[in-house]
Amino acid sequence: MFFRMIRGALFRQKGKMLMIAFTIALGASLATAMLNVMMDVGDKVNQELKTYGANITVVPKENSVLDELYEVDGEEIQSAYLREDELGKIKTIFWAFNIVDFSPFIDTTVTLDNGSEVKLTGTWFNHHLDLPTGETLNTGVTNLRNWWDIESGVWLDEQAAGGTQGVMVGTQLAKDAGISAGDTLTVSTRYGKKQLAVVGIYNAGGDEDDQLFSSLDIAQALSNTEGCLSSIEVSALTTPDNELARKAAKDPGSLSIAQYEQWYCTAYVSSICYQIQEVITGSIASPVRQVAESEGAIMDKTELLMILITILSLVGAALGISNLVTASVMERSNEIGLLKAIGAKDSSISGIVLTEIMSTAVIGGVAGYFLGYGFAQIIGQTVFGSAIEMKLMVIPIVAISIIVVTLAGSIPAIRMLLRLRPAEVLHGR
Amino acid sequence: MKKQNMFFRMITASLVRRRSRMLVALLAIAVGATILSGLVTIYYDVPRQMGEQFRNYGANMIFLGAADSEGLTPDAVERGLSYIDANKLVGVAPYRYETVNINEQPVVAAGTDLAGARATSPYWIVSGEWPAADGEVLVGEDIADVFDVKAGDTLSVSFTPATAEATTAAEGEDAQEETNGIEMTFTVSGTLDTGGSEENYIFISLADMEALTGESAAYDVVELSISATQNELNAIVDSVTENVSSVTPRLVKRVTQSETTVLSKLQSLVLLVTIVVLLLTMICVATTMMAVVTERRKEVGLRKALGASNGSITMEFMGEGMLLGAVGGLLGSILGFIFAQAVSMNVFNSSITFKPLLIPITILVSILVTGLACLIPVRSATDVDPALVLKGE
Repeated sequence: MFFRMIRGALFRQKGKMLMIAFTIALGASLATAMLNVMMDVGDKVNQELKTYGANITVVPKENSVLDELYEVDGEEIQSAYLREDELGKIKTIFWAFNIVDFSPFIDTTVTLDNGSEVKLTGTWFNHHLDLPTGETLNTGVTNLRNWWDIESGVWLDEQAAGGTQGVMVGTQLAKDAGISAGDTLTVSTRYGKKQLAVVGIYNAGGDEDDQLFSSLDIAQALSNTEGCLSSIEVSALTTPDNELARKAAKDPGSLSIAQYEQWYCTAYVSSICYQIQEVITGSIASPVRQVAESEGAIMDKTELLMILITILSLVGAALGISNLVTASVMERSNEIGLLKAIGAKDSSISGIVLTEIMSTAVIGGVAGYFLGYGFAQIIGQTVFGSAIEMKLMVIPIVAISIIVVTLAGSIPAIRMLLRLRPAEVLHGR
Repeated sequence: MKKQNMFFRMITASLVRRRSRMLVALLAIAVGATILSGLVTIYYDVPRQMGEQFRNYGANMIFLGAADSEGLTPDAVERGLSYIDANKLVGVAPYRYETVNINEQPVVAAGTDLAGARATSPYWIVSGEWPAADGEVLVGEDIADVFDVKAGDTLSVSFTPATAEATTAAEGEDAQEETNGIEMTFTVSGTLDTGGSEENYIFISLADMEALTGESAAYDVVELSISATQNELNAIVDSVTENVSSVTPRLVKRVTQSETTVLSKLQSLVLLVTIVVLLLTMICVATTMMAVVTERRKEVGLRKALGASNGSITMEFMGEGMLLGAVGGLLGSILGFIFAQAVSMNVFNSSITFKPLLIPITILVSILVTGLACLIPVRSATDVDPALVLKGE
């Protein structure tokens, strides 16, 4: 009998029940979409902030102190180098997955045809790397120097035909020396002479405008430093620093074992630096504060903003649903009066009404979850050009909130109606 | 006149008598309006507030001395700054670099306005204190390691006016003027961690730099942090280049370019979220209104049976709904502003700009949504034969 009544109510009042289900579906989809976007926004924004370039630089230990200090004498002293064969190890550290891009650098000074001396930096542009883990990776300064404007020509690409014999020229240098894309440039050092094709002219808006960029091999051959690197830039996804991270950055030895574990297993910029130092012999990895600190600030703010917007829309959706449920329960005063008049118990009336509403809510909630999934993906694809990761955690949150909100909307209304006397209700007062 | 009186009486009576249901409807509208005005306010204010956060990345413009001029004198910088809106200027830090000696080893010293440097480079991490008075020095971490100094120690710095190997052009003018080395003792107020080349410098105030070198030369570079879009920055560059001949302004491409990319992403994120939330909320409001009105089909039937025209019934219901919409909209626009303000205080620690235009817009949208939501069920009720409606079919 109970089920027949429920079924009857659900099917006969199809229109009304559909509307309730529809509203609940909208509320659920709003909650699903916002919660998913909120939980993923940190990663997405972090990814976007990578356009600011590397947030970690790795230099040889001996050098980090002495190099710049003595450079003022005009004499270039590069006493220590990093080893090129160890580069792949960067992608084997604990937080390897968070390393987005990295690129090695070697600097040398070359003489141009007209006798002027310019700085030549050898690096990776779009380097193909086979990792010890069996994965492959394309990385290089094409990503790490996102802000470069290619004024003419194209980015150098080692994987393209003849790419390794190319050179990119800074806009200032190109102007001063009258170089344009397509020219052939002869550069020489005391170790040799090379003919390089000018692939592109870039505008970096800084010191780099006065120099040349070539592939790593060429710069190494010209400076007789095969297999050596003067620095590595690493772009990593990091968690904003907190007290623990700052303490650890000063001296990891000062942490207790539990703190150390927590620090080592969190993607703080300091723990990633520490792990890079572990795999690259004789290296010092330090965070580029300009990028690392600002990233933290911006991510914190964006996440907080999204959390507050999510809370607002969740509260809005909850009120919307419970409102509609209240309205639709109150509408049934006649029916409830009639049931009471023919002797139904309060508990069985509440049971029937609640079951009806809850089964509608379940249908609406399930539909809403998938609708919300769609909305989240629309937001992800439009804004970030990538899918929003759906967190499983969202399902119970949405399910529980829908149940609570529906109950909160219907119980007070039912109680109010039960308090009325059937005769009055049926009379229409 | 009489007819109008009756109209209002019917509406107010219906609102007052059916208090609980009307409260439900009003709540729904107010929630919708709150979300509308709150989110739109936030959407408009986010670029400004976020833009300020992006100033964490430091200077986005630098002034250099033009090649053929007297150089970057304080006067020229002042003239250059006059083309920048003072409200948008987050910080200005002039720098003057000289090579000094510590324990007979050459070190680059930067003379700067330390308060300005702090504003333009918020990412500098200082262990200890920022120098507050003259005679204090901020030491880069690498230098601190080499000379083994920490906050509170003293550091003796000497300057030998350049002879042959003049280190900066500004100093070159006075190169002939042979003076004996000046030695000054500074108190180390803190050490500086930036992860960049700044760690190899020491920072002292401009006044100390003058005392140490015995001359007041032009700045080598001035860093500016301006809260503005790329287009506004380009406009500043153009007007400064045109009007102040001795200053060459340059944009720091890495900062400006990346800021534009990321900021536009963030803005479109908030926009899309706003649209989705608004769309869903408005439909929610509409369904609630529809439920409230559908309930009164009987009333519609009764009035029709009494001889009311379809038009007058629709008018009444719409009037009721719109009145609710107006009240709910007003309530919502106030609550929405309070919410936006709370968000802004929590997230950005600054108050939000009040957009007066948003109040009428919110009220209007609420009226429209509720009016439309009433119209649909009333129409379907008036279309049916009153006898059927009254009978409950």
